[in-house]
Amino acid sequence: MKRYDLIVVGAGPSGLSAAIEAAKYGLNVAVFDENTRPGGQLFKQVHKFFGSKEHKAKIRGFQIGQDLLAEAKALGVEVILNATVTGLFQDKEITVKIADAICHYKADSIIVATGAAENTVPFAGWTLPGVMGAGAAQTLMNLHGIKPGNKILMLGSGNVGLVVGYQLLQAGCELAALVDASPKVGGYGVHAAKLARAGVPFFLSHTIVQAKGNDHVTGVEIAQVDENWKVIPASKKYFEVDTICMAVGLSPMAQLINMAGAKMETNPQKGGCVPISNAYGETSLAGVFVAGDVAGVEEASSAMIEGHIAGVSAAAYLGFIGKEEQISRYKDLESSLCKLRQGMFSLENRGKVPSTTEEGYATANNLLYQGFCTEEEVLRFPGTTKQVGVHAVIECLQNIPCNPCQEACARHCIKIGEKITSLPSVDEEKTCSGCGMCVASCSGQAIFLVDESYADGYASVTMPYEFLPLPQVGEIGWALDRSGEAVCKTEVVQVKTSPVFDHTNLLTIKVPVDKAMSARFFKGGVFHAIHK
Amino acid sequence: MQSINDRSRDIGDFFAEADDSVLICRCEEITKGEIRRAVHDGMFTLTEIRRYLRTGMGLCQGQSCGNLVKKIVAKELGVSANSLEPVFSRAPMRPVEMKILANERGV
Repeated sequence: MKRYDLIVVGAGPSGLSAAIEAAKYGLNVAVFDENTRPGGQLFKQVHKFFGSKEHKAKIRGFQIGQDLLAEAKALGVEVILNATVTGLFQDKEITVKIADAICHYKADSIIVATGAAENTVPFAGWTLPGVMGAGAAQTLMNLHGIKPGNKILMLGSGNVGLVVGYQLLQAGCELAALVDASPKVGGYGVHAAKLARAGVPFFLSHTIVQAKGNDHVTGVEIAQVDENWKVIPASKKYFEVDTICMAVGLSPMAQLINMAGAKMETNPQKGGCVPISNAYGETSLAGVFVAGDVAGVEEASSAMIEGHIAGVSAAAYLGFIGKEEQISRYKDLESSLCKLRQGMFSLENRGKVPSTTEEGYATANNLLYQGFCTEEEVLRFPGTTKQVGVHAVIECLQNIPCNPCQEACARHCIKIGEKITSLPSVDEEKTCSGCGMCVASCSGQAIFLVDESYADGYASVTMPYEFLPLPQVGEIGWALDRSGEAVCKTEVVQVKTSPVFDHTNLLTIKVPVDKAMSARFFKGGVFHAIHK
Repeated sequence: MQSINDRSRDIGDFFAEADDSVLICRCEEITKGEIRRAVHDGMFTLTEIRRYLRTGMGLCQGQSCGNLVKKIVAKELGVSANSLEPVFSRAPMRPVEMKILANERGV
């Protein structure tokens, strides 16, 4: 039987990070994953991540996956794919299904990083082909290059629903509606705003009544729900769609750690049935650690740090490092984790509706309850200033953990400060060069460059643009506002692409001056003759 | 405190509901109505439901329906879903063909 110092189950963000950390201390590490490709969900994530530099902010998820894999391989970590761990037994022995055999491996320590699986909601017709998890739709389009459908309804306004919804638009699908039973948008406002300005209608306090179709989805009926989540029959609406995506949360895949005999708890805050674990990733079983979503559903950035923490714990457990080194490294990692776990969407604030931001600005309720901010909301936040000449307008109105814009500005026009959940503010004393680095660096695509003195009677608005085909200079189309309504006809006056922008193109349109603070999206091409 | 598993507890009569025909466990084709009925037949724990109806015993091993079954059973019993004891997991974690299961290698 082959033996290792450490076996990691799951080659996702936390598993790979755990393996990297442990291998650095000299542990002989193997990582098993049932999938054909390593990286877990990272390879489907084509968007830029949040956080700060230490959390790999503004790097696209799949790139982070590639980096992690390269780092693990360079450290001599054995990554074994197409290998399904079918059991975790006494004395840290695992059985793995590889090809047509069950193979046995043993290690002196185990890190279980099996991740989470998508939740579902049953409604009449939910078993029809065409109803799928949002994650499944993401796998289809981003891993296999297959369009999940042409006209899609997304259920769930958390970050998964919003991000996958946007990627569906990028893949060329039409999003008929974004539906959530909750009266408020569950995910980041900046993610919602990207969908809203592209014209996706939000139906909050709504639920799916039934999916229609005989052998596949041909339509869906939704209806409003009252405060007791009961359907209001008179509010029924019908959409012709061929696909329904569900993004209704994740549940930890804790079966393996459960069967190993770890003490479990049902913790709704962590997404369901999870192993009882402490801050070091220790479970009730000595030498068996957990990291990432299996220990409590969060997101990939924190999963990576949890992986590192579990890696340190395993190294200390086996005596590769002393207590002192363990604690010192743990403290660094914990501080990094704390930075991510703050703000409006942190665990302690989940479900609450703050009346103001941490800085005391009244909450942008339209953003929260409609999915887009009003001009009035944008104007009262510190990211918007009235300036002559080109300047950044930052429509980032919630305390979320992210700060790449601060570093992106060479002229220090943008300030967030030490706490990465603080709102970005624009310093009127500094002069914007119009370089657009902030626009491209914003993972939430919430920064625009506005120049009200662009030409006589005209202003220019520069926006982040991640759709293909890329509009050409001179192209005529519609300028859409934050809600996706057409505000005026417009012309593309500049298109900037650069390797440093990492596929976020900068599109500049020309609009009448009075539309400078409302035009936020460009719809051209075949759409240019129509508007909502 | 009254035990959830106290079978002498009155949970009321079974009434048909409009969505009883909705499939919950897709692998084993078990409907919501069957699960609700099973509770009234005396199956108060998730493990009993699983043995009685085979929910969660199919290809996906309850990955899709586990939470749904739990919610339905809890509602029928009039308790919170979090108070129900989770089902135990046992190897193999994923469905494995018998010929593979029998082909053990030490490596």
